[in-house]
Amino acid sequence: MTMQATPSLDLAELTLRRHCPLVTCGQSVLRGERLATASAPGAGDIHTPIAGVVTHVDAYRIRVEARGHDEVEPVDLAALSGKALYDKLLELGVDLPPADAVDTLIVNGVDAEQGVLTRASLLASTPEPLEHGLKTIHALYKPRLTTLAVLKGASIPDYDIQLTEIDHNYPAGLDPLVALAVTGIEAPDHTEVIGLETVYHLGRVMRTGLPVLETPVTVDGKLAIVPVGMPVSRVLGEAGIVPAEGDRIVLGGFLRGEAAALPTQGVDRSAVAVTLVRNPAPVAEDVACVGCGECVRRCPARLDPSMITSYAEFGLYDKAAQAHVEVCFECGLCGFFCLAHRPMLQYIRLAKSELARARSREEVAL
Amino acid sequence: MKPLNPLVLTVSVPPHKHYGSSVRGLMTAILMAMVPAAAMAVNTFGVDALRVMALSAGVAVLTEAACNRLMDRSQSVGDLHALTVGLAFAFLLPASAPWWLVAFGSAASIGVGKMMFGPLGGSPFCAPLVGWAICRVSWPGQMDLDASMLTMNLTYPLGQLKAFGWTSVQIQDTKSLLFGRQLGGLGAVQVAGVLIGGLYLVIKHHVSSIIPVGFLAGVATAAWLLHLINPVVYPPAMFHLLTGSVMFGAFFLATDGPSSPNRQIPMLLFGLLAGVMTIVIRVWGAYPDGVPFAILLANLFTPVLERIRPRPFGAR
Repeated sequence: MTMQATPSLDLAELTLRRHCPLVTCGQSVLRGERLATASAPGAGDIHTPIAGVVTHVDAYRIRVEARGHDEVEPVDLAALSGKALYDKLLELGVDLPPADAVDTLIVNGVDAEQGVLTRASLLASTPEPLEHGLKTIHALYKPRLTTLAVLKGASIPDYDIQLTEIDHNYPAGLDPLVALAVTGIEAPDHTEVIGLETVYHLGRVMRTGLPVLETPVTVDGKLAIVPVGMPVSRVLGEAGIVPAEGDRIVLGGFLRGEAAALPTQGVDRSAVAVTLVRNPAPVAEDVACVGCGECVRRCPARLDPSMITSYAEFGLYDKAAQAHVEVCFECGLCGFFCLAHRPMLQYIRLAKSELARARSREEVAL
Repeated sequence: MKPLNPLVLTVSVPPHKHYGSSVRGLMTAILMAMVPAAAMAVNTFGVDALRVMALSAGVAVLTEAACNRLMDRSQSVGDLHALTVGLAFAFLLPASAPWWLVAFGSAASIGVGKMMFGPLGGSPFCAPLVGWAICRVSWPGQMDLDASMLTMNLTYPLGQLKAFGWTSVQIQDTKSLLFGRQLGGLGAVQVAGVLIGGLYLVIKHHVSSIIPVGFLAGVATAAWLLHLINPVVYPPAMFHLLTGSVMFGAFFLATDGPSSPNRQIPMLLFGLLAGVMTIVIRVWGAYPDGVPFAILLANLFTPVLERIRPRPFGAR
């Protein structure tokens, strides 16, 4: 395992998800300066990992070109606690779910998808920021139980925290199934699952007083700590992998990950892996369901993905809601096993986002 | 800003890798699983069997190609489903079937049993059975296995059972029945070959074992109960399992994806229902071999059975 030193970037591209840009083109920014603020609860803000000039802003990305090395002043976090600390941490780019009424806090240290080893490597190799993060998270949420979910049989340093062992078989490491393994209840109330990389971010922020500027990813089967916003082609390049025309660069695992649109697209905090897929032919095809039922028998949420995706295909989102599409925790197995190679997960995500939009429209109307 | 990297990437939705299964792969496996029975059919019925199978498969593929053309759909014969349906339809016919009957039935299987309902996956019925049912009702004479095979020195055990009762059935021993020394659908009665192919599909996980197990259990249980009540009138379960299209229906017809339920419990009930219906039709119905109509009836129950479903994850 190599823990490379933070490479110096000449360009950073920050991916916006539900964030509002705070900077404009041509503006000079310091390293660590806030570029965008989150508009969704529990999501942290976005900061530039390099000092420079903003060269591009749109709804999906902010680009910064390197110039100079000036850095923002560290924030003194020792004086803060409770709500004030929580708000400050969000502002510093830590993605933390709302902190009220959490009975069981689960830190998910399991890399759910095959080929990803970010969390396992973090646990084994970087106890320092994690210990810091775990301590802070416990003080922040004041849960009755804090537990660290790890793979069955994994040998890790002592974190002075209760461990829960998780099965190796996919999708046992996904948050809802980890919560089930810990509590024995499906979708339990007052339970939060936080990914280990967020605890790592938190630990780094607490120690340095600087915002989240780097994130752990798996590249070429090894853990790498890379700057947030580092172009994906650059991340691969550091590992000696050169993408060719028509390849796919996947942020995340093979079953759930997102393909980068451009080689310059930056790594974001939720990307646990950067992987090159050489085959230019996408898996998904635009075909009707052939009714084999494979997805129905594979679905760990006991849903009927064949019907749900067919509803989504024809825009019948209310029907998809009746078929409990919201229950789906997006493991992606339906698409992996689909005999017809339908884009199952994409249809499910479409239905969910359309339903969410309809809900927010209703709220506005009220 | 200088162009950093003129590279063009492929952007696609997840998954970025696939299990490797496909419709064409499944159909190839099913076709391979039909080879042993087809070879046994040629061995038993000679070149007549080959004639019927080739004609039926060819007409099915041509019909699908023509339908796609007329309906302005993208060509789908490459997935081999039409070929599979055509061969499955031939398996249900007597080897003596006249060419026009084969051609019409095969075309009806694809046209009415599949293409009318849209692309693969839309049909509520097992396609070859639709063609079979149309022919059986329209031309009972040509479809009658017993009458059509007067030239062969084999007999039709289910016909004898229906017409004269259990004591008059000439072929009763398991071995003869297993190795296709009986009349019936030319491929369907090659029980040993069908069984080998069926087990291959199940062991290789090309089809789930639930429906075949349910189907065979349904046939065996119903036949065993009747045999228990009156062993003179009702043949033992093994006779029913090894005659007609029971084995072929269990592994190749009832397992048709779109027309059968998708979840485990409904699949089992579907299989049991089709199996029990087979015996009910054989004992009290008008047709000697109940399998095709039993499966078509079970197909009708699929939407009802699909309503048996578990509570989704975490839903209260």
